[in-house]
Amino acid sequence: MSSLHDLLAHEVVEGIKEGLFTAEEYVSSLIKTIEDVESKLNSFITLDTVGALSSAKLIDRKIKENEDIGYLGGVAVGIKDNISTKDIRTTCASKILEDYVPSYDATVIRNLKQNGAIILGKLNLDEFGMGSTTEYSRYYPTHNPWNLDYVPGGSSGGCGAAVAAGECTVSLGSDTGGSIRCPASFCSVVGLKPTYGRVSRYGLISYANSLEQIGPICRSVKDIALIMNIISGKDNSDNTSMSSSPITINNKLDKFDIAIVKELINDGDHGVTGTIYSTSDKFKEIGCTCDEISIKNLHYALPSYYTLASAEASSNLARYDNIRYGFDLPIEEYKWDTYFSNVRKNFGEEVKRRILIGSYVLSSGYYSKYYLKARSLRSLLKLELLKLFKKYDLLIGPTMPILPFKFGEKIDDPIKMYLVDINTVIANLAGIPAISLPIGFSNGLPIGLQMMAAPFEEQKLIDVSHALENTINIQRRPNLT
Amino acid sequence: MIGLEIHAQITVLESKLFCSCRGNYRDLRPNTNICETCCGLPGTLPIINKKAIEYSTMTSIALRCKVPDKIMFYRKNYFYPDLPKNFQITQYNVYGFSSIGVEGLFELDDSKKIRISRIQLEEDPGRIIYLEGGMNVRNSALIDYNRAGVALIEIVTEPDFTNPKEVRLFLNKLSLTLEHLGVCNTLMEGSVRCDVNVSMKGGNKVEIKNINSFKEVEKAINYEITRQTSMYNRNIKIESETRHWDDKKKITYKSRSKEEEHDYRYFPEPDIPIIVLGDNFVANLKDHMPELPHQRFDRFVSKYNLSVHTSNILINDKKLADFFESTLKLYFSPVEIANFLITDFKSMIEDDSNSTDYLRNTKVKPEHIAELVQMIEGNKISRITAKDILIKIFESGILPSEAVNNTSSFKIADEKTLMDAVESVFKTEKSAVEDAKRNHEAINFLLGKVMKFTNGRADPKIAMRLINNKLNKPDP
Amino acid sequence: MISKDELEYLAQISKINLSEDEAKKFPEQLDKTIEYIDILEELASDDLNVLDLQEVKFDELRDDVVKMSEELRITKNMTEDGFLRGPKMK
Repeated sequence: MSSLHDLLAHEVVEGIKEGLFTAEEYVSSLIKTIEDVESKLNSFITLDTVGALSSAKLIDRKIKENEDIGYLGGVAVGIKDNISTKDIRTTCASKILEDYVPSYDATVIRNLKQNGAIILGKLNLDEFGMGSTTEYSRYYPTHNPWNLDYVPGGSSGGCGAAVAAGECTVSLGSDTGGSIRCPASFCSVVGLKPTYGRVSRYGLISYANSLEQIGPICRSVKDIALIMNIISGKDNSDNTSMSSSPITINNKLDKFDIAIVKELINDGDHGVTGTIYSTSDKFKEIGCTCDEISIKNLHYALPSYYTLASAEASSNLARYDNIRYGFDLPIEEYKWDTYFSNVRKNFGEEVKRRILIGSYVLSSGYYSKYYLKARSLRSLLKLELLKLFKKYDLLIGPTMPILPFKFGEKIDDPIKMYLVDINTVIANLAGIPAISLPIGFSNGLPIGLQMMAAPFEEQKLIDVSHALENTINIQRRPNLT
Repeated sequence: MIGLEIHAQITVLESKLFCSCRGNYRDLRPNTNICETCCGLPGTLPIINKKAIEYSTMTSIALRCKVPDKIMFYRKNYFYPDLPKNFQITQYNVYGFSSIGVEGLFELDDSKKIRISRIQLEEDPGRIIYLEGGMNVRNSALIDYNRAGVALIEIVTEPDFTNPKEVRLFLNKLSLTLEHLGVCNTLMEGSVRCDVNVSMKGGNKVEIKNINSFKEVEKAINYEITRQTSMYNRNIKIESETRHWDDKKKITYKSRSKEEEHDYRYFPEPDIPIIVLGDNFVANLKDHMPELPHQRFDRFVSKYNLSVHTSNILINDKKLADFFESTLKLYFSPVEIANFLITDFKSMIEDDSNSTDYLRNTKVKPEHIAELVQMIEGNKISRITAKDILIKIFESGILPSEAVNNTSSFKIADEKTLMDAVESVFKTEKSAVEDAKRNHEAINFLLGKVMKFTNGRADPKIAMRLINNKLNKPDP
Repeated sequence: MISKDELEYLAQISKINLSEDEAKKFPEQLDKTIEYIDILEELASDDLNVLDLQEVKFDELRDDVVKMSEELRITKNMTEDGFLRGPKMK
């Protein structure tokens, strides 16, 4: 019973169905873990243990009456706090949305609920998704369960920490420039950023809408596939969403052609690089080939990303004027434009910086110099990658160029912080799927392997990841006591 | 040089442009025609209305614009309390992507054409009510989002107009076109707005905003021309600026708000993919779209042999033209029916409000007219008796055949009484009088008015004689 | 180099008030970022290249049907008549 919180999602579903334990017992086990470790980690912004327990009891009742409980029956999910959950406060880790309670569920939430999932609470992030460590959360930073002095990654830092620590079984995060993969890598769990358009964005509170996707962070590849099949699909509420085929877990692996991207590995930390190379030997063991290739335009990727993401952010965040929703600030005494400026004073520094840069690159003197060039780079990059994917099934490299670092190390220098994303933004710019799989440790700190595939080829990512996962048994649960 | 920028709501739509709220927001309690999307709640996405694209394309076709194969939407970024997202989703012509229509042409009359620069599809903001009044009340503004997200067609002309009369003519013809397409009911409150830019003698362009009906446009332009001319005459430089039209004081004043000096930071709307219209899209629409005024005109002249004069009158009053064609279906005698409608019928039925909705409230229906004209042509009744019967139909909806059987009432034959009636009519219908002096046919219109004035009791022969006498008398 | 005026202008069009501390350190920080993205100038093309743009067919778009929202409640600052009270305009 005490290890119910260690179970993987597919084990929970089976266990509840077969009556090995009740949903209530399972959720109680998670709540106990939260009580034990949450004060050390600060993964959550809002917890709904009462709601979760009552949902669990409902599941148990349905089991007794032989009713269908769905593909995720009873599984407790943590949701990144930039995804709308009806009647549960959704803050985006910002002061601006401190009191905001959505009146609707994001499509992915509806899908989860329809399949019997239980929403445990809302997980911490960098404010509005802008950051790589959760240090920019306006509430508190989340701590890495592998070493509490270290950052868990970001922006879905709460997701990575909570899943690794067993506070929830699976989680949903979002990824604009690496925000699922970075915390997955730093917390030694699995995270997938889907192909752009595979998962509906309706209800995802926009930071950069041409780059972002909602995706799962879990402790096993099988769980990733399970969640993906529930949240994927064309949605009438999202004109950019597209239909896709379900992902299966295959026990036999086709022979894949894999390539390591030189640029992603060259300037990395030695501990990281070494581990990646030794993993490439594993690929040969499981029957794949592994070359080394170069991507020509890679050094423009990060500047393009920040240009486009900031531009979109400056527009997406314009709506926060406190008129229709937000926090308590009386309107008297202000003229409308000073009211707006005073409301928006409450954004954190990083959000302000990105909005200002965004306004800058979109302004009429600079639009073609920065924004258009960034758009054209996107096209060039995508073209180059699609060509490579004709020859290779997967392109790989380390998820992060460095090991997790301590709090405060990069926070004074925005550029230093941006460089952390250098390997992950490629997949967002090109709209291709990418997964981060734990592959080892260095000095007790996790290392993740990133694999990218052509659009809608998540199946290949899952195939290789599943095979690799069985070959290299990497610890997914830190010892926190 | 005068140019126009017109915003017309696509009033025919059931829903808004990017969400499924009602398209007609009028007469609803504030903030009851809203949803998460049109209020810009976090996490919501625009879902475009396909009919809006069809109607804006039809408008482009009607204005002879080029329609692209693919269209794109842009964000126009600026802050304002009536704009829920603090950006407007609109279209922009740049970098090889055009809006729903570009480079069109509108025939004003035989000698003049107005170039249409572009047509674009975009969303309407909400409404702010600025409060005058006591201290407490002045501390806030009231906002209603019922209108936010309603579909708008923006039509921009080149500065090809040279005087306000041309503008007036254009707006009338444009309204007629929009009415024929069914796109926009220009009579609905707030359905059309017009900005004007005026520049004189090669000087700077002055933009005039806040003109809330087509009727006010001519006044605003006249005022502005006067203002600019007087400045020019005094050698004062005319600055390029934005002014607002005050329809109470009937002046333009320099706009105090800074919202016009914007860098709108346009960029492509990421939530809406490029919409591929398809090869047959325009051709299909052309085949199925409603008949345009000039097409109907041509048809009336060639198919029904109506005179240019008669056709013009009918075309300019769509509901009358529709009534005409409904009547034709019952009894095919186009020339006679048309003439009857535009003289006797029109003068009698029209009330003083000049609203083209007069047809909706009348008891007279196509079947009445069809029967009446049939009887005239079958020599069963005289034209003048027909007029009398028309009055009875107007009052009671009785069928002509029935009316004939209950013959009426005495006629006013007293010349003095009739002369009073004639004088009255001459005073109120000055332009009709001028018309009648030139065009003999139009005299029937005046007779109709006299009949109406005397509740149908005037003896038509005597009245006609008196009218003719008065027309032929030289003016004092 | 971002001047104090340029920063003020950007803050104005973005409707964001900066704290004293931010006003002091932002010029340098923003400069560094702009310097960092200046590398984009090396790229030749500045057309809006169409490859990265998603397309959707006209037929797949939403039909013109009304469906009212059931759950939306904006209760912030509402008057009796149902208007939303916003800050004064002048």
